[in-house]
Amino acid sequence: MISFEHVAKRYPGGIQALSDVNFSLGRGELAFLTGHSGAGKSTLLRLIALLERPSRGQVVFEGRNVGKLARRHIPYLRRRIGVIFQDHRLLSDKRVFDNVALPLMIAGLSYGEIRRRVRAALDKVGLLDKEKMFPPMLSGGEQQRVGIARAIITKPPLILADEPTGNLDPDMSADLMRYFLQLNELGVTVLIASHDLELIRQLGQRVLVLKGGEMVDDLPARARLAGEADGA
Amino acid sequence: MARSARRSGYESLPGAAGLRAWARRHAFSLLSSLGSLTRQPIASSMTVIVLAVALTLPTALHVTIDNVERIGQGWERLDTLSVFLEPEISSDQAQRMTSRLTAWPEIAAVDPISPEAGLVELSGQLNLGDLGEQITDNPLPWVLEITPESEVVVATLASRLEREAGIDLVIVDLQWLERLDAILAVIQQLISLLAVLFAIGVAFIIANTIRMDIQNRREEIEVMALVGATAAFIRRPFLYSGLWYGLLGGFLAWLFIRIGLIVLSAPVARLSGSYHTDFQLFPPAPEVTALLIVGSGLFGILGSWLVVGQHLRKINP
Ligand SMILES: Nc1ncnc2c1ncn2[C@@H]1O[C@H](COP(=O)(O)OP(=O)(O)O)[C@@H](O)[C@H]1O
Ligand SMILES: [Mg+2]
Repeated sequence: MISFEHVAKRYPGGIQALSDVNFSLGRGELAFLTGHSGAGKSTLLRLIALLERPSRGQVVFEGRNVGKLARRHIPYLRRRIGVIFQDHRLLSDKRVFDNVALPLMIAGLSYGEIRRRVRAALDKVGLLDKEKMFPPMLSGGEQQRVGIARAIITKPPLILADEPTGNLDPDMSADLMRYFLQLNELGVTVLIASHDLELIRQLGQRVLVLKGGEMVDDLPARARLAGEADGA
Repeated sequence: MARSARRSGYESLPGAAGLRAWARRHAFSLLSSLGSLTRQPIASSMTVIVLAVALTLPTALHVTIDNVERIGQGWERLDTLSVFLEPEISSDQAQRMTSRLTAWPEIAAVDPISPEAGLVELSGQLNLGDLGEQITDNPLPWVLEITPESEVVVATLASRLEREAGIDLVIVDLQWLERLDAILAVIQQLISLLAVLFAIGVAFIIANTIRMDIQNRREEIEVMALVGATAAFIRRPFLYSGLWYGLLGGFLAWLFIRIGLIVLSAPVARLSGSYHTDFQLFPPAPEVTALLIVGSGLFGILGSWLVVGQHLRKINP
């Protein structure tokens, strides 16, 4: 589904955010991406959704080298990827309903279809009763769930989440991660950037470790409930 | 990886479903553009007023010149030809000539002025008292004051009259009218240049407003791009906003002009009354009004196209 081959990213300021990153993520897989702040986690996700282009190497998504994708095809690539941001990126002057509906409005679905699917998505994240509220009225966890509803509304084959539990208390974080696991069980490929090492360890999924822009470790998933502790 | 297709494969829906989707996306953009106009009523109305003022200036000049031209045409119609007969022409001959010329289709009326009447009029005009009694040998010939029919070209009629037997001289003072026409043509040219300048101004005023609008809605634009909105989709509400600004500005300019004409109509009526004419102010022609409003709308679209395009390149690398 995704593969990085000798990918490097250097920002205009001269900062080398990623250097020679190699990994691949198969269809239907789930992996966590960890590393200290500034390790390049966000940059790696941004390269997949083509919010940035790689300086060197190939980022391949669904068999296509996205780094070389023409600008006019970018929107169609992004429609196949649901992105969840740490800062939610919700529109504060639009209601929860309209925020979640945005990708469907862009696709030009009929209002009836939009209504049906938005309510289904809000139901899934447990926010059906909040559809008429504005995002600033919601708690951080609820806003994060609105972001998730918006990311899954088009049923994309890939979900990218950038520190989705950053602002949440431990209980809510665990809930949220379990939700991603459920999505994954439905066949969605999921890549989650997080530095919540404790939680990641508990979940026992595949973990990619970035350090100073390099991929220093790739820990395979171990059996759920194996329960042993091993340091990264 | 094996597939190195030239086309990306990320395309939109074809056919009737695509058309319906297209219509829905347009409706969304339209509503969204109206929303952004009404969300900031003060900023929007200020833009529209600035636009209207910028558009009113050249249009008002055009309307002024147009009306001055009409007055000039009115004066031309008031013009008469003074036909001086040869000195040896007698009273009888002059009367016969009067009735003959009256029958010409180009001529509306002939008013014969005898040498005696001419002398009295002249002495009155020159304030010379009773000149007629002092001058025994009147040097003035018979003069026929001819009023041409309204559609007649005065110069052609004058040259035809000059070829008639018994006519010495035909005087038509059209030179000042020709000069007026030449001056008006120069001013008209100037207005065209001004109109181009002001049109560019309109595009920039709207571009600047849209730029501020984009600053305010930066977040929205970015989020739309992040969830897969095409450049056209993001651009469209702003193009509609530009169109609305342009159309409203053009319409308001037209309103300003109409109000100006109404305000001026009473003094103009008084002025024309004092000249015993019934001159009235004409509003801009329908073509001019259409050009003003539609042109302004199109320049609005152009202005917002420029800024939005510039901004979009930053989001989609
Ligand atoms: N838009 C940018 N321009 C310049 N430098 C950037 C930009 N985004 C991130 N960086 C730099 O790249 C490095 C990696 O950043 P990031 O990918 O955000 O790391 P992480 O998400 O792991 O904290 C950091 O040093 C950061 O300062
Ligand atoms: Mg980050």
